[in-house]
Amino acid sequence: MRARFVLYPLSALTLIQPLHAEVYLSVEQARNLMFPGATFAQAFITLSDAQASAIERDSGVSVRDRTVHVWRASTGGWFIADEVVGKHEFIPFALALDATGAVKSVEILEYREAYGGDVRNSAWRAQFVGKAHGAALELNNDIKNISGATLSSKHIADGVKRLLATYAVAIAAH
Amino acid sequence: MTIRAHGLLPAAAQRAIDDAFTAVAHIHSCMSFHERESDVSRLNREAHESPVAVDSAAFDVLDIALRFAEESKGVFDITVAPQLVDLELLPSPAGASRPDPAATWHDVELLPERRVRFHRPLWLDLGGIAKGYAVDRAIERLIAHGATQTSVNAGGDLRVYGARTEHVLLAPDTYGDGVPVIEIENGSIASSEPRAHTGSHRAGSFVSVIAEDCVVADALTKVVFARGRAAAPLLVRHGAAAHLYNSRTGWQHFGAHLSGPHAPALLAS
Repeated sequence: MRARFVLYPLSALTLIQPLHAEVYLSVEQARNLMFPGATFAQAFITLSDAQASAIERDSGVSVRDRTVHVWRASTGGWFIADEVVGKHEFIPFALALDATGAVKSVEILEYREAYGGDVRNSAWRAQFVGKAHGAALELNNDIKNISGATLSSKHIADGVKRLLATYAVAIAAH
Repeated sequence: MTIRAHGLLPAAAQRAIDDAFTAVAHIHSCMSFHERESDVSRLNREAHESPVAVDSAAFDVLDIALRFAEESKGVFDITVAPQLVDLELLPSPAGASRPDPAATWHDVELLPERRVRFHRPLWLDLGGIAKGYAVDRAIERLIAHGATQTSVNAGGDLRVYGARTEHVLLAPDTYGDGVPVIEIENGSIASSEPRAHTGSHRAGSFVSVIAEDCVVADALTKVVFARGRAAAPLLVRHGAAAHLYNSRTGWQHFGAHLSGPHAPALLAS
């Protein structure tokens, strides 16, 4: 065991971000926010090798987790809880798709990094609304980057692209 | 309570975390002062009349508690429940005789085959140590499932395991000079709530104790809260360090050195 007590002077606090996780929304809260009034039927999918390869080829993004945590909304559309890597920690987020598989909204559930939390900014997230499978989602070209949050914004954009491909490959067929 | 587990695939992580939660729930139900059928409640009702057999976890916790009572010369005392009931910090246990005012922890006797007897009617409260014990058991389960980096945080009693240094923000009522963070690997931190511990003249103090085992950290917070710096020899004996804050004296640090030769660090502004 090793332990060290460190006191950060209050005057330095504007430079130092909180070291604990910010939990913004639970999965349940995000679901109800993104699909008000709906009930949800769990429809988790375990991707086969073929499906994972197809998603990776299609989106150019690797599939880290073969389990897709997806729920069908009673009011139409799909809710997916996923996570991407930030700089040091995972960023859990949620994606709402309408009945045609286009993005309704993106919500960040938790943010554990010391900086880069601007991906939570609603104007930034609004850039994804309406994007469907096949849409260009390149950072800086199609999705504006956020200074100081480059890695997080790239990975969220990649995550959305991967999930749109996942929808086309594994969900739309159901 | 928050449990984090890394180094496992999601399904395995879920199983590990569920197992850890189950362990904690079991300990809570054995040791609850409030629940009628917990081991503690049965002892409080019956053990002064005849020996009562208890769960192995409850017996283990009693053993640890009595050893801390001995080592702290009664400063750590699981028989203070009557005073806590009188202060309305605990409800009166249903169906239990009034405790003998002269009863102390010396009147709790551990017998073979996990039986416990009280020499006088008394009320036990294991709340000062059960949470730390539960955290230790939860961490054991997580490690057994193969987690490489894991932490259990039960409302301020926490334990971390793994090679990575975790940063824990302490939360006294006011920050005073600065924001206190413990950088810790493979250890536990327990912090006192400013509950009106009987005999304490340190109202408004905040105490964090660092030790390898959470049950040890948990028990020692009570001793540090009551005795302050005088608890240092007991801390050293258990390889533990204490950080005590109140607005009058600021931060004080005593006990074992846990970070090598350095004293606690105050970062230059």
